Amino acid sequence: METNEIIATIMAEFPYALYGSILVGALCAFLGVYIVAKRVVFLGAVLTQVSVLGLAMTFLPFMLVSHTAGSLIVTIIAVMILSRLLTGKKIPREALLGFIFVFSIAARILIMQKTPKVEVSEIENLLRGDILFVTPELFYMMLGVFIAAMTLHGLLFKEFSYISFDAETARTQGFNTGRWETLFYVIAAVVISVATHMVGDIFVFGFLVIPPIAAMLLVKQVKAIFLVAFLIGTLAPMVGLFFAFKFDFPASPAIIAVASIVFILAGVLNTLRRK
Amino acid sequence: MLPLIEFQHATLGYGRKIVLQDVNFAINSGDYFGMVGPNGAGKTTLLRAILGTLKPLSGKVVVQAAATTTLRFGYVPQRDTIDDILPYTVQEVVMMGRYRQIGIFRRPQKSDRDFVLESLQHVDIADLRHRVFKDLSGGQKQRVLIARALAAKPAALILDEPTNGMDFSSKISILDLIHQLHEEDRLTVIMVSHFLDDVANYVKRLAVVERNFFQVGEVDEVLNEKNLSSLYQMPILVTQVNGSKVILAGEHRGN
Repeated sequence: METNEIIATIMAEFPYALYGSILVGALCAFLGVYIVAKRVVFLGAVLTQVSVLGLAMTFLPFMLVSHTAGSLIVTIIAVMILSRLLTGKKIPREALLGFIFVFSIAARILIMQKTPKVEVSEIENLLRGDILFVTPELFYMMLGVFIAAMTLHGLLFKEFSYISFDAETARTQGFNTGRWETLFYVIAAVVISVATHMVGDIFVFGFLVIPPIAAMLLVKQVKAIFLVAFLIGTLAPMVGLFFAFKFDFPASPAIIAVASIVFILAGVLNTLRRK
Repeated sequence: MLPLIEFQHATLGYGRKIVLQDVNFAINSGDYFGMVGPNGAGKTTLLRAILGTLKPLSGKVVVQAAATTTLRFGYVPQRDTIDDILPYTVQEVVMMGRYRQIGIFRRPQKSDRDFVLESLQHVDIADLRHRVFKDLSGGQKQRVLIARALAAKPAALILDEPTNGMDFSSKISILDLIHQLHEEDRLTVIMVSHFLDDVANYVKRLAVVERNFFQVGEVDEVLNEKNLSSLYQMPILVTQVNGSKVILAGEHRGN
């Protein structure tokens, strides 16, 4: 297919896939800067798996909630529990996250085994990240989450940055750091669960990590890092979707590949700049 | 004069674990107060109780409110507790000290920026304001953290191991700066250190902290050979060289 033809096909046939992946890419990249700065990248991976577990649970016969609601409820509960457990010292944080990670995957597999075949394939589609079938309802829900999350982060930027930089001193100034941390993770949980339902776990986790680290290599100012990560999160899905159509690749891996190439180029540029 | 901070039969600890029992002492306005003791003795526990981030298990820690506003502490944490992955500039770090006053949902105003600049000038690093915090030397970082504490316009400056991991000249320069803030601005200073020499030659009053030993008094009264030898379980010599106290550990023979 020619370039113009590919663009026209995407715009005409898969507009929600394009706009939806841009929303998720940009938002996850923005949140990812904090996730990387707080050194809780593994938490991002854990929450995507918890979210998929929540989604898989809605396929059980007795569950009467929608896929998105199920994913949202389970992820928020997990975050509320984690925000308390992660501060404890008896079990190392990584070990606890590792437990939840494997538990979520194992539980999901068990649920899938006891689910009618047709629905198993439906779950697998979700896990693989078939973003081409984003529904208008899901897209508008993601748009709502995007606006709410970006507004909250815009209004509370200084509080979130202070607490991720130096929580101990913030606490001495009267900031209830526990509540701020919980608020941050609840926002992240909502974003991750809706986004995972929409574009799949690989896409979401990839964009929580790759654009932020590429931005950290490219620019040396905090606000510029957020901006560049946001831009990579916006542009990589467009380019990735184009290549997916051009070379008949699956969409999510193609988008992640584009973001990864940006990261590698940023690394090379950073190395050359230092020489 | 009312004490600024008063421990009244305070027992401090975490859950069922008691770290310090029946602590009684006061820190007055204008004090230059030091806390020394071996690692794990309870210095940080005491500091957290002063800062209000640890409630006593029993007894009271009374922090005196000023006439117009509640007492604000300017806290300078240990540098290694700060996670500086993101490249915040010196100016941005010092502005964090104003965040409580600025309030939620509000952006820093010109008056806040002026205050930040004034705090940076006060510690002689105004020229570093556009530099990235994580790229600075240990001494420079410590000055930035002191400037951030000053930006909160505190009633007392509280420093946790301010000279930890510093070379000799940076260490002296930071201790001189703290001394100057106390002398010229009449700022109450509370400093925790495990370097006895630092504390001995700068602070006026001192708490020696150990699990079964807690003593508060003037430096000369508390920092004597008997106390220190018992505290560190080894012979310790306290002597004077050119008017400065020198503390030597171990057996010493000759001059």
